Amino acid sequence: MLHTSAPRRTLHSPLRYVDWTLPLVAVAVSVLGVFMNYSATWRLLEFNGGDVLFFARRQAIFVVIGVGVMVLTALLDYRVLGEFHRQIYLGLLISLAAVLVFGREVQGARAWFQLPGFQLQPAELGKFALIVALAAYASRSEGEMDLPALFNSLMLAAVPMVLIFLENDIGTMLIYAAIVMGMLLVAGARVSHIVVLTIIGALVVLLVFNSSRLVGRDLLGERQQERLTAFLDQSSNQGQANYNLNQSQIALGSGGLTGQGWLKGTQTNLNLVPEQETDFIFTAVGEELGFLFGSLPLLLAYLFLMSRMLAAARLAGELFGTLVVVGVLSMFLFQTFENLGMTMGIMPITGIPLPFMSHGGSSIITAFAAVGLVVNVRSRRFARD
Amino acid sequence: MTQGGSTGVRLAFLGVVVVALFSALFARIWYLQVLATDEYQVQAATNRVRLISIPPIRGRILDRNGVVLADNEFVGVVTVDPTQVGAERDRVLDELELLTGESRDLMAARLDDPAADPFAPRTVAAGLDENTLELIAERALPGVKASFEPRRVYPQKAFAAHVVGYVGAMPEGFLEAHRGQGYTLNDRVGRAGIEDLFEEELRGRPGVRKVEVDRQNRVLRILGEEPPQNGYDVVLTIDIELQQAVEAYLALGLRDARQKISPDSDLFFPAYAGAAVVEDVRNGQILAMASYPTFDPNWLVDGLSSDLYDLTFNDPFSPGRLNNRAIQGLYPAGSTFKLVTAIAGSRAGVISPRGRYEDVGYFDVPGDCGTGCRFNNAGKAIMGPMDLSTAISRSSDAYFYSTGYKIWALPGENQWAIQDTARQFGFGSDTGIQLPFEKSGRVPDDEVKRVLFESRPDVYLTEDNVVTWVPGDNINLAIGQGFLTMTPLQLTNAYATWANGGTRFAPNIVDRVQTREDAEPEIVTDFGPRITDVLDFSDIPRDVINEGLAGVTRVRRTAYGVARGTASGAFELWDNAAYPISGKTGTAQAEGINKALARPKEDTALFVGYGPTNDPRYAVTVIMEEAGFGGDAAAPVVRNIFDALRRLEQNWAEPEDLPLETPQPVTATCPEIPRTLLHGGAEVFVPEGCPYGTPLPVIGTPSDGEPAPSPAGSGG
Repeated sequence: MLHTSAPRRTLHSPLRYVDWTLPLVAVAVSVLGVFMNYSATWRLLEFNGGDVLFFARRQAIFVVIGVGVMVLTALLDYRVLGEFHRQIYLGLLISLAAVLVFGREVQGARAWFQLPGFQLQPAELGKFALIVALAAYASRSEGEMDLPALFNSLMLAAVPMVLIFLENDIGTMLIYAAIVMGMLLVAGARVSHIVVLTIIGALVVLLVFNSSRLVGRDLLGERQQERLTAFLDQSSNQGQANYNLNQSQIALGSGGLTGQGWLKGTQTNLNLVPEQETDFIFTAVGEELGFLFGSLPLLLAYLFLMSRMLAAARLAGELFGTLVVVGVLSMFLFQTFENLGMTMGIMPITGIPLPFMSHGGSSIITAFAAVGLVVNVRSRRFARD
Repeated sequence: MTQGGSTGVRLAFLGVVVVALFSALFARIWYLQVLATDEYQVQAATNRVRLISIPPIRGRILDRNGVVLADNEFVGVVTVDPTQVGAERDRVLDELELLTGESRDLMAARLDDPAADPFAPRTVAAGLDENTLELIAERALPGVKASFEPRRVYPQKAFAAHVVGYVGAMPEGFLEAHRGQGYTLNDRVGRAGIEDLFEEELRGRPGVRKVEVDRQNRVLRILGEEPPQNGYDVVLTIDIELQQAVEAYLALGLRDARQKISPDSDLFFPAYAGAAVVEDVRNGQILAMASYPTFDPNWLVDGLSSDLYDLTFNDPFSPGRLNNRAIQGLYPAGSTFKLVTAIAGSRAGVISPRGRYEDVGYFDVPGDCGTGCRFNNAGKAIMGPMDLSTAISRSSDAYFYSTGYKIWALPGENQWAIQDTARQFGFGSDTGIQLPFEKSGRVPDDEVKRVLFESRPDVYLTEDNVVTWVPGDNINLAIGQGFLTMTPLQLTNAYATWANGGTRFAPNIVDRVQTREDAEPEIVTDFGPRITDVLDFSDIPRDVINEGLAGVTRVRRTAYGVARGTASGAFELWDNAAYPISGKTGTAQAEGINKALARPKEDTALFVGYGPTNDPRYAVTVIMEEAGFGGDAAAPVVRNIFDALRRLEQNWAEPEDLPLETPQPVTATCPEIPRTLLHGGAEVFVPEGCPYGTPLPVIGTPSDGEPAPSPAGSGG
């Protein structure tokens, strides 16, 4: 082979240190996602006389856009974000406040801007804003957070979280909480502080669920409460949430070791699992591809993604980069665990999508952008200014 | 540089969290898919979730004043599910016979109906009261369900049946054509009239209920529900009181005709069928539309019993009971078509409106054309001298034979003046009324004739007929005979166009579609007046034609003596001063044989009128098959309908003013022709000072282009 014009790379070129496995696995999972989107929707679309490829084609377009966004986020030096973290944080607050006033209400949550052709959810992009702002602030403590720094970090996170709670978007608020927990843990909060925080968190949850007795006003809607607690009492035969949970587990369980075959799942085809192309997409994988060809490889793929992110966090050139990657990792970890746990009946039902798999533009593009950010941090570990 | 020290430890802790959480997921999925899979596979196989369609409530059909023409009633019905009754079938039927009083054989037949959905419950008895339903429910027979179900009901019975239509069992192919719209095989769908055309609006959208059921398919609990969206109401433009009057007068008119003896055959007229249309000429709204013989749509909702089936389909004296003759009956226009010929002739320049024409009882085609060159008047009547106005009032065939011939002889495109004018008036094309299966009729020309002859040479090429358009074709067309066919609605709309000064509407029979609320319904679709064309009458002698049409219903003195209108007998006692009516009679020869009576068909009687003459509001058409003369049979019916209109229009609001050209009152603007000129025998004479006084060229006269204005003119 001739290498007449081999590119000359310096030791510090980011391209030399790109972790290619991370984006490749992400793309592979999202391609499976497109197929499962088709499997979960074609029967109903055909029954209604629609275009059977409608959801699959849409999802494929989202994936292509997502890959493009991933390339962009990987190219732009992440340290620029750190320099502008104040402006980014301010932008987050303004857009969250604006959506409360001008937003469009979808299924009870006022979290979307209606733009021509698509909807924009500021809280989605806001995850990155929070990660960047929190990483920039917490990295100043250089790994040892005292009480005032911890308190300030919590306040920094609390303001957008309250706004999102007011939007009635509990699922996204929980993701924010997970991001904050993960980042503060790594940023150097003391173990005693974290224990106290956890206790306070538990108390808040108790308060919210019993708010009608304690405060005299329900902070959660009845349906929300039912969905969140259904997994605690699965023998109960009442209500829609328990129905979802039952059907979802029947779908996974009936898949067995080898699955019923693509497009052949009875639960999937009879449309017995609700919201199957979005929140319950994993049930289609479990039922049709089974444990060996579906659930196990997919879980391993997610585990692999997490481990590569942990490695990227360890290898990052500075604490700011480490914290950014930890924020992304916490986000993925929480979303994946919560979504899969929900379909298996070990976590409450919330509207949190499975990264790279669930149908939806916001979810897909955010996930790819996050991967791009991790690649970015890792590839610049030796970069000079 | 790697993160060391404290951060490294903390990252390792995060790694432990990741591994711990994924271990939980692995454990759980291992349990679900490997350890407990048998149990879940059984559950999946016996998943007892069913989707049940909740039918929407069908919208109503209302007349212009909100009177209900089609509604739903709830009737107690017993259904049996053939898949569940099984071996206990005999016992179930015995018990049901005792409880409902319905014949066991009939119920068995309904249960075995091969046309029904094999998996759906069948209705075996209907019309039960609450008490009976409860008794049946208490017995808890296998597969038997007793409930109240909505059933379509037509409170006006036979009135407006052809317009409203009916619902019935689904036609073949319907389910395939409407996939995904939630229809099931047992649904009743609109089969005719408004029920058919507005099926989508009337039906609404069914809801879905997701339920969990036990092994006996009993509902254990409701898992979710999407409510149905009920159908919209359709509001018609017809007035049911007028409709009842029109149908009654039409039936009475036919009965009267059946008591008269035909001069052609010396037998009673059969007069078994007819149609009537009332249109508001100001906005194209149809106020009444009748077709005889008629039917009761309530017969058809549950399927016909054999007696009613025979009455509906096999009655030889009431053929085509379900056909709406007003839009589907194809008739020759007969003399009512002379309006078109008069306009075409005036435009083509072959008619001099005040010109004198001598009707000698026939018209001979000039030149040598062998036999069949003489066209006789009806009854070979000799009518003497006349102008255009009198020719219309007295319905001279010879006058219009001559006009038809002269038009045929014109060079170039003018040869087709009659056809062009007919198409302008909407003949030969759908009117666009909101009713299904409308026929468009036929305006014949050389192309139409050629296609006709080539498709049915056995029928048409029996005599020495030629395929080209010969003078005889145009002469026949000039009096509305020959190959011309039209529907009663087309004729009404054509005269409405004439009466309102030239605005041709697409007639509306539906005023609006609205949500079903009694207080303030929300309008979904509003059918405003739909103008399809505006005709220009400025270049034709409108006054003379109007005078002729007004003269049809009266006896008047003219320059050529007393003109007795062809419908003057029928309107003898009519108050023509207070409510003058214009119109035109028609007596059209019908081809073929009356099969039930095995004798040649009698003439079709037509009358189309509009009134009041000075400021027309309504156009009314009556067509009666095999009923004789239009003036004798159809004109009295129109007169009676106008009588009803005069009474009922007091209750109606003035329609919205449309910027239409208002017709001129019928007053002759031409001076009376001096008596001294009456015997001149001039073929063409136009008095000085008349707006139509331009001398017109006449084919075949030596002074072509410059006719002599001399009163004593050339011989004739």
